[in-house]
Amino acid sequence: MVRGDTTGEIVQVRRRVKAGAEQIFDLWTKPDLMVRWMSPYPGAVDCKASCDLRPGGHFSLVMSSAEASREVSGTYVQVDRPRKLVFTWIGPLTNNVNTLVTVELNPRGDETELVLTHERLPTSAIREGHTMGWGNILDHLADVASQ
Amino acid sequence: MSEIEARKGATSRTARLDAVFAALADPTRRAIIERLSRSEARVTDVAKPFHMSLNAVSKHIRVLEASGVVERHKKGRDHILSINTRSLDEVDGWIERTRRYWEERLDAMERVLRELKKDHTLGPKDRKHGSR
Repeated sequence: MVRGDTTGEIVQVRRRVKAGAEQIFDLWTKPDLMVRWMSPYPGAVDCKASCDLRPGGHFSLVMSSAEASREVSGTYVQVDRPRKLVFTWIGPLTNNVNTLVTVELNPRGDETELVLTHERLPTSAIREGHTMGWGNILDHLADVASQ
Repeated sequence: MSEIEARKGATSRTARLDAVFAALADPTRRAIIERLSRSEARVTDVAKPFHMSLNAVSKHIRVLEASGVVERHKKGRDHILSINTRSLDEVDGWIERTRRYWEERLDAMERVLRELKKDHTLGPKDRKHGSR
């Protein structure tokens, strides 16, 4: 995995979900299901999603209201239904800096343990205004994904 | 450090973060930070490579100072600028925001799961597309 200098900040969220891994995986990857929960904006927001579910494929979630339109998008790095989904993520939350999200789904009887890991570049790299470290991470992941 | 005044707007963490992000949003200011990340420097030396007036560069420097990203101290007659790495580490607030974001999204995801379960028990086994 990604270690050392290239590692930036990491957020990890774990949750026991009362559903099977397949169903949860679909919620993350089927546009008609994605639009039902991925938008963080309450109220009258028109949410559109599209995705090309394969490594290198692109996804996007566009949320538009009367005043504004926001987009979250990224590229799939690893697609391993129903156990693991890795994708880059860029949007308002990430200050439009590229980040990496890994969703792991581990069956626990009737339930599933969802482990979400959201990583971004070290602050130093953002400070220096380049994404070299990020490129290395992506190259590394692309290698892992193609194995 | 004591030279740095407590600035208004910098009281809340969010406001401070916004100021840092705003400071980082401009290419000239990023170039200044890049320069200072190599070493501290005099204001005039920082301004030199830019094709703009010292006054214009000074404005950018003031934005950086207000955001807390750049600090200024005096060495003799020179004004020396340096990076306040702590302010950039403050961007760590990202962790908090991101965690909250995903906790909320996962709450919403579980709500949809409950709705789907209801649909499933009411309707036919096969999922119909176009259903809400």
